[in-house]
Amino acid sequence: MNLAFSGMDGVIILVFYALVMLLIGYLSGRGDKKIHHSMSGYFLAGKNLGFIALFFTLYATQYSGNTIVGYAPTAYRSGFSWIQSVSFMTIIIGVYLLFAPRLYVISKRNKFITPTDWLKYRFNSKAVTLLGVFLMLWGLGNYLLEQLVAIGQAVAGMTGGTIPYQVAVIAFILVMLAYEWMGGMKAVAFTDVMQGLVLMVGILVFLGGALYLVGGNLTNVTTFIMDSEPAKVGVPAMETSINWFSILILVGCGAAIYPHAVQRIYSAESEKTLKKSFARMAWMPPVTTGLVFVIGIIGISMFPGLNEANSEQLVGMMANEIASINSFYYWVMILFFGGIVAAIVSTADSVLLSFSSMISNDIYGNFINPKASEYRKVLVGKIVGVIAVILLIWIAWNPPGTLYQIFVLKFELLVQVFPAFILGLYWKKLSAKPVFWGMLLGAVIAGVMTLTGLKTIYGIHGGVIGLLVNFGVVVIGSVLMPVSAKQEGQADEMTSLKIEA
Amino acid sequence: MEKMKEPIKKKWIWIGLVLIVLAIVPWYHSVKAVEPIILGFPFWAFLSGIFSLVLCGYLSWLCTHEWNIVEDIEEAEKRKVDEQ
Repeated sequence: MNLAFSGMDGVIILVFYALVMLLIGYLSGRGDKKIHHSMSGYFLAGKNLGFIALFFTLYATQYSGNTIVGYAPTAYRSGFSWIQSVSFMTIIIGVYLLFAPRLYVISKRNKFITPTDWLKYRFNSKAVTLLGVFLMLWGLGNYLLEQLVAIGQAVAGMTGGTIPYQVAVIAFILVMLAYEWMGGMKAVAFTDVMQGLVLMVGILVFLGGALYLVGGNLTNVTTFIMDSEPAKVGVPAMETSINWFSILILVGCGAAIYPHAVQRIYSAESEKTLKKSFARMAWMPPVTTGLVFVIGIIGISMFPGLNEANSEQLVGMMANEIASINSFYYWVMILFFGGIVAAIVSTADSVLLSFSSMISNDIYGNFINPKASEYRKVLVGKIVGVIAVILLIWIAWNPPGTLYQIFVLKFELLVQVFPAFILGLYWKKLSAKPVFWGMLLGAVIAGVMTLTGLKTIYGIHGGVIGLLVNFGVVVIGSVLMPVSAKQEGQADEMTSLKIEA
Repeated sequence: MEKMKEPIKKKWIWIGLVLIVLAIVPWYHSVKAVEPIILGFPFWAFLSGIFSLVLCGYLSWLCTHEWNIVEDIEEAEKRKVDEQ
């Protein structure tokens, strides 16, 4: 996306954002020794996040800069059926309601650090733990990769190439690593407040500008589309509706079970804070993906007939037009594009922190050096996080010619942890072996379908088909191979709602 | 003290959720459901949007009203600490 309007002004704003992030990181780490000497202090902000920080960190983690730069073109290409982006972002809260209330209590009682802690505690099986860690790390790694690529594109586009792509990536990653190193989850959450606010305001002003340019009347836009491209307004075909149901399941279950999302449940200061944050989050899709959807629809009438590659530049093209309305819009557009970069960074930092915590707690602390001090574990997590980022950048700049698809697998693999995670909370007869085989089979089906390019069958995603098989294996296996009465009693104790151990 | 409430234990919550989702996805419309255009939205998308908002409100309300497990204990403890 190349913006003719910014250049040097864009550079100034980006430097400003970077400095603010560093300052927040510095302030949140200053004088708090616990952060670097305790796993829960560094990775979960001492399990003490209040409402504002928790709400914004949930928001900034779920909505990335990609939500705008990527979803507006999707709305442009698919038309009104992209209104589905409101429901699939909302349903995530519904899935949280399935498990967060109980998991919150259990995690407080047992001082969990990572999602794997729950699997390890519940199933006491190395196979389940390792497979779970592998699937989650794979999903997180690819998610992070996507964000790193997006940072570079957004910055290079915004500054009209004044800052080249590769310099942009390195500069912003260094900023991110620096504030994360200084303040851990606390820094991530506090920077999210700034990043989330900029994103929310930016979307509103962007929509305002776009509406102004089309004469303030959405009905005219729709009538224009009806005449030129009636399929984008028409009632979706049955396969699109089935695909819509499928995406509700895939995104709902996948996004709720993202390790960094689960860790935000662990980080909440209290149940009251957690539910208040979720209650507000439930209203965010209409004002985020909903508005971005309308922006994409307006784009159809502003720039009709773009092919797929060109439509990817839609947000930049619209921003150029909006910026030329007057100097108010010009500056807001620059702030907004800085905000997009900030929003990508804010998603990347949460993912990276979660990635580090799993390496530190689940791999290093669990298998390699269980006797290590908390300080050492935190340090290992930080250092491996830096190494992982370097590796991912290397992959991003030297994309493998073949098998590129394995770097696309995210939700499809992650979501396979869902049955173990959720059924484990409520079903005492669940046993470890079927959980392992269900997870593995589900992951293989989802992986093979994605790799062979067969993304959906009758509109149903490979990840969802894998998930259904996974559920089947887990349930039938647990019925056929029941756990002992003693194990059932233990499960009852593990999943109880007592607050004290 | 309020009674303990856990959403998973109430069937009506989930039946309600499924019904709203069934109303959001436009599988039940005939091809003619494009008109009238309401506020710039074709009829089917307008309806889908309205039910999407219903889903937001429903879930938001469930979070605050149907979820109460350890809140009373935690808040009582917090008050105790504050008083000291």
